[in-house]
Amino acid sequence: MAVRTIEVRERLMAKNDEYAAQVRARLAAAGTVALNLVSSPGSGKTRLLERTLAALDAGLPMAVVTGDVQTQNDADRLARHTSRLVQAVVTGGACHLDARQVLEALDAIDLPATRLLFVENVGNLVCPASWDLGEAARVVLFAVTEGEDKPLKYPKMFRTAHYAVLNKVDLLPHVPFDPDLAEANARQVNPDLRFFRTSAHTGLGLDAWFDFLRGLVEAGRPAGVAG
Amino acid sequence: MHEMSLALEVCRLAERQVGRAALGSVTAVAVIVGDDAGVERENLAFCLETLLAMPPFAGARPVLVAVPGDELRLDYLELDDGRQDD
Repeated sequence: MAVRTIEVRERLMAKNDEYAAQVRARLAAAGTVALNLVSSPGSGKTRLLERTLAALDAGLPMAVVTGDVQTQNDADRLARHTSRLVQAVVTGGACHLDARQVLEALDAIDLPATRLLFVENVGNLVCPASWDLGEAARVVLFAVTEGEDKPLKYPKMFRTAHYAVLNKVDLLPHVPFDPDLAEANARQVNPDLRFFRTSAHTGLGLDAWFDFLRGLVEAGRPAGVAG
Repeated sequence: MHEMSLALEVCRLAERQVGRAALGSVTAVAVIVGDDAGVERENLAFCLETLLAMPPFAGARPVLVAVPGDELRLDYLELDDGRQDD
């Protein structure tokens, strides 16, 4: 048997990255800033978006693409807080969104009338870290009901994020969680992470989050993030 | 479990490289997987073994190469070109 070797040397993410570049180009042409929101299940992504839509949507037109393995429950929840489009992507078992799904979702969104686009990724701190969706920046959430060592356990997610939201801080008196240690762990992985401490339930810390979003849209892109 | 997505992408790239008709002649598929690529190598190997055992493949062997960093790419394919060894 004669064996022939064919050198390929092609990146497995090349096709996804092509779609991500198309997403980025469409967002740039429309002047829309996109944030990719990632976390483990139950950290409060949807609740944070509910509060954000309720507080800002009137003056800051937003759209949301939600990713869920099954159901469009998150999209239904968010749609109660805005008359603007919330587009659901049901991945049908896949543990992450990919750029092709986001590109297709953009077809249903009036991008020129949208200043800020949230992509609420599938709840998972592993797989979504590897998939560029064409976003301007990645925001990772984790909650005080999780461990302070989450950033050390899932370093790629925290290393590829630009912003971190420590959520459910209203529960701090009731749980053995050291927020300073959690931030230190995160900065050990990614020294450039900017932190927000919030309770999407009580509203604690949300003013800083809202100010950040307003500034982001004003600037046209996240400070310190290339693109 | 995005390893199955990646394994499917490996198969797509292999088909693009050699054409569907030649996939049965592929004997090995080598993938470089960085330590920080966010990929569980044993899991990816299992997914590839499953896919490469099914037509149009005919039991090609996955070869996973560990490297530092976050590299993730299809490195090479080996094919039985049907000729006798010289």
